[in-house]
This record gives sequence, structure tokens and C-alpha cells, in this order.
Amino acid sequence: MREDLRRVAIYGKGGIGKSTTTQNLTASLSKMDKHILQIGCDPKADSTRMLMGGKRQRTVLDTLREVGAENVKLEDVLEIGFGGIKCVEAGGPEPGVGCAGRGIITAINLLEENGAYTEDLDFVFYDVLGDVVCGGFAMPMREGKAREIYIVASGELMALYAANNIAKGITRYAEHSGIRLGGIICNSRNVENELELLTAFSDAIGTHLVHFIPRDKIVQRAEINRKTVIEYDSESNQAKEYSKLAQNIIDNDDFTIPRPISYETLEKLMVDFGAIE
Amino acid sequence: MPLTLLNCDKSIPERKKHTYVKDSTEEILPLCNIQTTPGDFTERGCTYAGCMGVVGGPVKDVIHLVHGPIGCAYWTWGGGTRPNLSDNPQFHQKYCFSTDMQEKNIIFGGNEKLYNAIIESYKEFPEAKGVFVYATCTIGLIGDDIKAVCKQAEEEIGIKVVGFNCEGFRGCSQSLGHHIANDTLFEQVVGTKEPEYTTDYDMNIMGDYNIKGDLWVIKPLFERMGIRILSTFTGNSSIDDIAQAHRAKLNLMHCQRSTPYICELIKEKYGIPYIKESLFGIEQTSKALRDVAAFFRLEEKAEEVIADEVSKIDPKIEEYRRKFEGKRIFIYQGAPRAWHWVRMFREIGIETIAAATTFGHEEDYAKICERVKDGTIIIDNPNAIEIEEILTELRPDIFISGLKEKYLAYKLGIPFINGHSYETGPYAGYSGLLNFAKDIEKAIFAPVWSMIRRRDAKCNY
Repeated sequence: MREDLRRVAIYGKGGIGKSTTTQNLTASLSKMDKHILQIGCDPKADSTRMLMGGKRQRTVLDTLREVGAENVKLEDVLEIGFGGIKCVEAGGPEPGVGCAGRGIITAINLLEENGAYTEDLDFVFYDVLGDVVCGGFAMPMREGKAREIYIVASGELMALYAANNIAKGITRYAEHSGIRLGGIICNSRNVENELELLTAFSDAIGTHLVHFIPRDKIVQRAEINRKTVIEYDSESNQAKEYSKLAQNIIDNDDFTIPRPISYETLEKLMVDFGAIE
Repeated sequence: MPLTLLNCDKSIPERKKHTYVKDSTEEILPLCNIQTTPGDFTERGCTYAGCMGVVGGPVKDVIHLVHGPIGCAYWTWGGGTRPNLSDNPQFHQKYCFSTDMQEKNIIFGGNEKLYNAIIESYKEFPEAKGVFVYATCTIGLIGDDIKAVCKQAEEEIGIKVVGFNCEGFRGCSQSLGHHIANDTLFEQVVGTKEPEYTTDYDMNIMGDYNIKGDLWVIKPLFERMGIRILSTFTGNSSIDDIAQAHRAKLNLMHCQRSTPYICELIKEKYGIPYIKESLFGIEQTSKALRDVAAFFRLEEKAEEVIADEVSKIDPKIEEYRRKFEGKRIFIYQGAPRAWHWVRMFREIGIETIAAATTFGHEEDYAKICERVKDGTIIIDNPNAIEIEEILTELRPDIFISGLKEKYLAYKLGIPFINGHSYETGPYAGYSGLLNFAKDIEKAIFAPVWSMIRRRDAKCNY
């Protein structure tokens, strides 16, 4: 593994658009000639779908279940998607059974053992399920697996509440694993004063807003066509927004240990910006 | 002297509250039944151990299936360290059943694997009358729905399938496992079958696990009085015996740490009273017989049995008493036997100078305090280093404990007998006392001790 490999994990509330944002981001980075490995860390295994043109790839854990851990081969679980992006899905159990968290730990270890982190890579992205519900989903934060975390959020209370919780998780692991918060990515929901609110929230927890992605119907249109916006219409305004996000992440040098805020402070922030009354 | 800190515990001052030197002018009990202090090299087991190893395991005609990684099933065959004898040795404790949960099963859940394991083990052993499924730590974490799987499997194979949520990390010792086993067997088994017939003299023996055949010397005593033992819990017990336990007239509770819960539940639901008795030693066994006789109005019969039994062993016991007079013992047991045996040893001339339990509750320590003399050291959940200090400082003439402490005692040149699994046994009742005395004699007067003692002054082990 290259020392200067950018190891990035994307967290955020469930349904906030992590996978959409991550795929558009990595697609933009690939356009900038970056070599990327993207690992979906969600039992739903839909993190790389648009990069793969809608193809559902075989997950690491399904393969493990079928052939046993010792027989998992990288070529069985790693596929090349749009822009040469290496795509992997960790996979996991059906809802309500087993331990998805343990699955993430096992899958990441298997990828390491099988040499997935090759020298040519500039970026590895972990796209992680919703909230950090247990130790397993914190795996990318631990032992230096990821070094920088970006939280996808919007101007809605629960999105910021989740973001604040994730910041707590980062604080927990920051000292030992060296993990840092790289910033907040706003995936706009067209909430009033959203940019101002997100800027203030980022400031309050000791980080910055990496980029504000406006809401645009083209994202859904591209998705229906099983494509990222970058692939679907690279000249569109939204594609340019993702490019800006990509450039900001390339240039980012603001990595901090966050200072999570209390629920009361968060509520006050929401009230101050008129997001709740 | 009240609560005291052993020299070896300087670095764990919390242990002081668990260590008491008895003084009858005080009303102090050592702290007990709480989480082990970090740093204390405890010898406690876990909730799963208490549920399967103690209460569930002795049931002789069910498949005991450990749901968890294979390591948790280690030493669950052959009785492990607990020789719960039964009259079904071709099956009982002969086999080991486990779902052998592996990484992928943990990730994807073990419900299906458990279901298949139940069906498969029943196919292999169709003579089984039930299946007991024990959940280990991992199962609690991944949340397998063992009760639902057991229900589904029960419908498929038509015999009782009972799931115990006895995950090891619950509770502070094996004690909670006893409680869970009591509750589960009460809810799912007791009352599910009617006896062929009942009599006015039906009694259950609760909390005897037939260690080396204890029950086989206890049961005839009551039978000779005219009592019918309807059910035993769980020594040499069939699942069907437990199922009909609700039709007895009286529950006799022997182990009062592992069965008070079910005795209380049966009393609440079926109105069956229980009495607590010790079935070790002449005095205590006779008291138990008399108390049972008083309940069933069989006093004369009881006196006949007592007179006959006592006459058979008394001359020999008298001999042992003279031989043991003045000997001092350190008793370390799970819980109740630490106090069951204080009076019994006194009957054969041996005085208790130290007593300890692994998982005793306050009642157990109150009973120990009631029975021992002032100056006796009473210690809760002792570790090997503390035991070593007590053995070295007090130099008892004999130490009665379990396998974990056996070789420590030997190395220190202190005679030892195993009170958990016994040396020969059985040790209960009248004839059992004679076996007990014989084993103690063999241990104390073995010529080897004089040789070891000569060396230990020079020996830095």
C-alpha cells in the first residue's frame, strides 16, 4: 500500500445520498486521471451500481459464504467500472439476521490479505452504511484503514444529528488510528438557508464545508439510466459541481479531530437558521 | 477482626470487602454475587456454564446442543468435570453436539444452521426425548432467534426442543445460568405431561445432580419411608420426569443456590410447598428425613430408617471421628456445599477454619457464618493467589475444593480432595458419609505428605 494513498471513508445518515455522491465523486476523480478503488460497506451492496452500469456484482461475503474464506480470490469480487474504477461490494446478511458489522470487518481484512490495495492506486473510498451502529461499521475508521472521513449531510435535523454522531465516532478513534475529519459535503435538500446552516454546523464541530451540491433532477435521470451524472452528461451543470467537489477533495488540507456538539446546541443552530421553529 | 485484606491483595484493595474473619459480635457478610474486580484472577465460570454444565446437562435423555463456536462445546461430553451419573450411559454425556458456528455463520446468522443441527442430531439419535439448545456469547451478539428456531424444529421432529438464552456474558458468574435454566425449564417443560398415577406420598428432589451417584443413596432413604420420588431435578432425570414435576406434594430442595427459583415458581403456580435441606452427614440427613416425615405423617417410618442407617455406619464413623479429631479443613465450593459440609465435618471431628464459594449469594454466606466458629476466614470468589496465601498461612490439614485447585494444594504439600466431582463418592446420605471419611483418611494419612513437607522448606517453587 502506497504511503501517500488517500484513504477516504464516506459516512452519513441513511438515505442522504452517500452512494450517489461517492460514485459521482469517484467518477469525477477518474476523469482527472486518478486511480481509484471503491469499496461499498453496506449489506445492501448498491454502492457501485452506477459505476458498473447497473450490474450487481458478486459481493465479498457472498463469495466467502459459497467458497470459504481461504478460497476467495480478488478477481472474483473486484470488477472494473466506469473510468477504470475498481469496484468492490462487501455485502452482508439479509436484514434482521447475523452480524453485518462483523461482515464489514471480515470483508476488509479479506481484501487486504488478497492484495486489493495495489501500488497504482491514488484513492481508496469506503462508502459506509448509514449511522455507525456498532464497532463493525467503524471498521474503516480503525487501524488506519481510512485516514480522512467526509460526512454527507443536508439541512435537515436528522441528517445533522447523524453527522454529529459520526463526529463522535471519529473523536473516539482519532487518537489511536489517526483518523481525521476532512469536512462536510452538503447534498442539498433545498432546505431554507441550507448553505448558511451547513457552514455554521461545520464550523461548530470544528471542520469546514467541502462543497455544497445543489439539488438537480439530472441526478435521478442519470440513475434511472444506471449511470453517474459524469457519464450521463459530462457537460451538465451538476457534473461540474461534482468536479468541483472532486477538486476540493484533491486540494483538501484541512483535517481535524472534530468537536461534536450537544443536542441542545444543534437544535439552537437549527432554530437560528430558521430550519426549525 | 472484621473485613480483612490478604497480603497478596495489596494491589486490589477491593478484595477486602470480600474477605471476612468471622466475629460473632458483628453482623457482617463478605461482599458477594457482584462483578469480579478487574485484576482479580477469578475462577468463576459463565452463565452458559451454569445453565448447561450444572442444571441442564444432567438430564439424561435429551440432546444437549451447544449453539456457538466449537470451543464452547469443549469438555461438554463425559460430564466435563461433573460426573452427573445416570442410568442411560449409552447416550447421556457420551456425545457432544455443537452447531460449530464459523465466521460466515456469524455474519449471515445462525438460525438455519441451528435448525439443521437440531434435525440432523435428532436423525442420528432418534431415541432422544428432547433437545436442549444452549446459546453462547456470540449468539447473543448476532441475535439469532433461538426460541423461534426451537419452536419450528419442535413442530418438525415432534419432541420437545428447548432453547436457553444463557449467553456467557450475562451475569457476574455461573449463578445466573442456574436461574435461566430454572425459568426456562419451568416455562417450557414443567406441567407438559401428567404422571400415570399419583399418590399422596409423591415428592420431588430438587437440586441434586447425582454427582457420582449421590441421588442413588438419597432416593432409597425416602422410598423406604414410603415416599415416591416423582421427579428429580435434574440428577438422573428424564425430560418426562421434569414435565410431571407439578404433581408432587412436596419439593425437597437440596442445592439451594441452583434451584430456589424453580421451587418458588412451582409453589406460586401449583401451590406445592418446598423445604430446604442438607443431605450430607448424619445429623443433617436425619433432620431432612424427619422434616419430610412430618409433612407426610410418616414419622415412625423415618425413625426406623434413621435408626437402621445410623447403626450401620456409627461404629465406623466413631473410629474416623477419633482419628480426625482436631483436624482443620479449608472448604472451597461453588456455593451451598461450603455450608452443607461445616456441620458434617464437625460430626467426624474436623473443624472448618476457612470457607469460600465461587458464586455464593448473601444467604449462602449467612449460612456459612452461622455454622463456623469465630476466627474462621470466609472469602468470596477467591483466586489462586489468595488460596495459596490461605493454605500457606493457615496450613489446614486438608483442603476440599475442585480440580482447578488440586495441584496447587499438592504443590504446597497439603492433602486435597475434590468436592466438586468427588474422589470416590457418593458422599451424600449415611453411606456417603462413610465414603467421604474414607477418602479424607486416604488423603490426610497418605505417606507422601511427610516427604513433600520435608522438602518444601528449601523449595522455592
